[in-house]
Amino acid sequence: MAGAQPVARRFGAVLPLLKGVVVLAAVLLAVELLVIAFDIRPYVLPRPSAVLEAILRTPAAYRDAMVRTGLETLLGFGAGALFGIWIGIAFSRLRFLRETIFPIFIVSQTIPVIAFGALVVMWFGNTILAKAVIVFYLTFFPVTVNALLGMRAVDEKQVQLLRSFGASDREIMRKLRFPTALPHIFVALRIASALGLAGAVVGEWFGDTTGLGVLLLQGMYAENMVAIWASILCSAVLGVAFFAAIGLAEKRIVFWGGESA
Amino acid sequence: MKRRSFLSTLGLAASTAMLAAPAVQAADLESVSLRLKWLPQAQFVGFYMAKAKGYYEDEGLDLAINPGGPNLLTENLVATGADTFGLSGGTDSVFAAIEKGLPITCIGISHQETPFVFVSKADGPVQEIADFKDASITTWFTGANYVLFGMLAANDIDRTDMNIQPQQVSVTPFVDGQVDVVTATRYNEYYTLMQRVGEENLKRFVPEDFGVSFPRDTLIVGNDFAAEHPELVQGFMRASVKGWLDAFADKEAAIDLIMKEAPTLERPHQEFMLDEVEKIMLAGAAAEQGLFTIDMDAVSSAHQILVDYDVLGGPIDLEAAFDSQFIDAIPSAERLPE
Repeated sequence: MAGAQPVARRFGAVLPLLKGVVVLAAVLLAVELLVIAFDIRPYVLPRPSAVLEAILRTPAAYRDAMVRTGLETLLGFGAGALFGIWIGIAFSRLRFLRETIFPIFIVSQTIPVIAFGALVVMWFGNTILAKAVIVFYLTFFPVTVNALLGMRAVDEKQVQLLRSFGASDREIMRKLRFPTALPHIFVALRIASALGLAGAVVGEWFGDTTGLGVLLLQGMYAENMVAIWASILCSAVLGVAFFAAIGLAEKRIVFWGGESA
Repeated sequence: MKRRSFLSTLGLAASTAMLAAPAVQAADLESVSLRLKWLPQAQFVGFYMAKAKGYYEDEGLDLAINPGGPNLLTENLVATGADTFGLSGGTDSVFAAIEKGLPITCIGISHQETPFVFVSKADGPVQEIADFKDASITTWFTGANYVLFGMLAANDIDRTDMNIQPQQVSVTPFVDGQVDVVTATRYNEYYTLMQRVGEENLKRFVPEDFGVSFPRDTLIVGNDFAAEHPELVQGFMRASVKGWLDAFADKEAAIDLIMKEAPTLERPHQEFMLDEVEKIMLAGAAAEQGLFTIDMDAVSSAHQILVDYDVLGGPIDLEAAFDSQFIDAIPSAERLPE
């Protein structure tokens, strides 16, 4: 079976995405059958095929919305992840910082995003930056917490061993502490990606023209169930894509197998 | 504003220097914006029409149309100068803004009569206004509730022990029979109700029939801008009126325009919305005087309700808050469909 190994590995890499798509398709099919079988009224739950049809009727509108919301999430998530990892490491090294700044972070996270969102839009206007800031706000915290946790999960005996070989603090960080923290960080990234997407959608409820949040709002206003579900479905696809991308990155980066392997 | 006029002077100088004739016109346009009260839909199509046909440009305006949203207050955005013009909530939100001291003025009223109605089922327990007493009622606690209170008071119904609940996004509780009376805008929720219950099974209670009126969808402008550029405000009104008349004259084109702006909307619903909005915009005083008429009688009646219910701390200066000069400068004949 040695020859099958690389193929299996390559397949393993796209497996999360494939799995997501298959599961989504199966759920949609099940719902379709349920709606037909129990004769559920369309304004309670529309048939998934009607939802798909609505998307296909105006594909450009849904594509633009997904691109826009995806971009907002990506920008905010990228910044949040980098900042979270960086500050998490800083917290683990500097006790003073941890004791002064960390409580502020915790307080910041108790503010509901919907309240915070209004503020952000007043500060940054109706720009993509405003949405990215909201996404950032939702993503950096779980990453910070898990990065800190990961940094502390290091076995002190291993640190001492490396030190006995004459390794510097920097080398210990690069070769031991950071790699040990990585699986923890990836757990947080998965959580943060879903949170960030929600943040981007909510951020669009403050006077924007494109995005899944806007389509959702328009659907809700007219009580158009099909339109509401169409934007939910697009959000789900986007969420699965983000989740899968992180899984893929994790497989590559944490190749030795971390928590979730 | 100073910087803006400096920039336009600069632009003028630059274009004169270049002697490029087509560029001169573009440089002369004043950049302004109109903030709507909600996302693009047929309710606002006249403004999109005026923009598409270049009516604003003809008046020297480079107008950007900014959509609204659930958490945006148009009055605030216009007062801070973030937007030049606004189509705001209604007379009620203008009163509230003036009371807070925001430097805005209403220069036209779009919806001449109350755009929402109270709806019961034709075969249900609520057949006349007196039946409201024992009914379960939902309404929006953002202004519509005072219209309801006003209707009840005008008919000597004591509302203190009535069951009036805040209405959520959906009309489903009414459709399912958990609620006897629901509030619906004539152009949106009523359409949903017609789709689900059927128009013949619905009974409408129109505020105007009970002596209460609440004009809504008010056009506002910042006081500084109006003082500095009265001719541009005048031009904005002229172009907007023309856009709306065009939209009414060619509804097919108007709906095409809005569907291009927001392709996921349902076309039949938008067509219904435009028909209803046309009726509301040409009702009352506007039937004689034309679009965007400020009917001070209707305004003061709405004002009185809010004073009576202590929503306003006291009477506000209506003459200062509502300025008819811009709309009245356009002859009525030019503000009415042919």
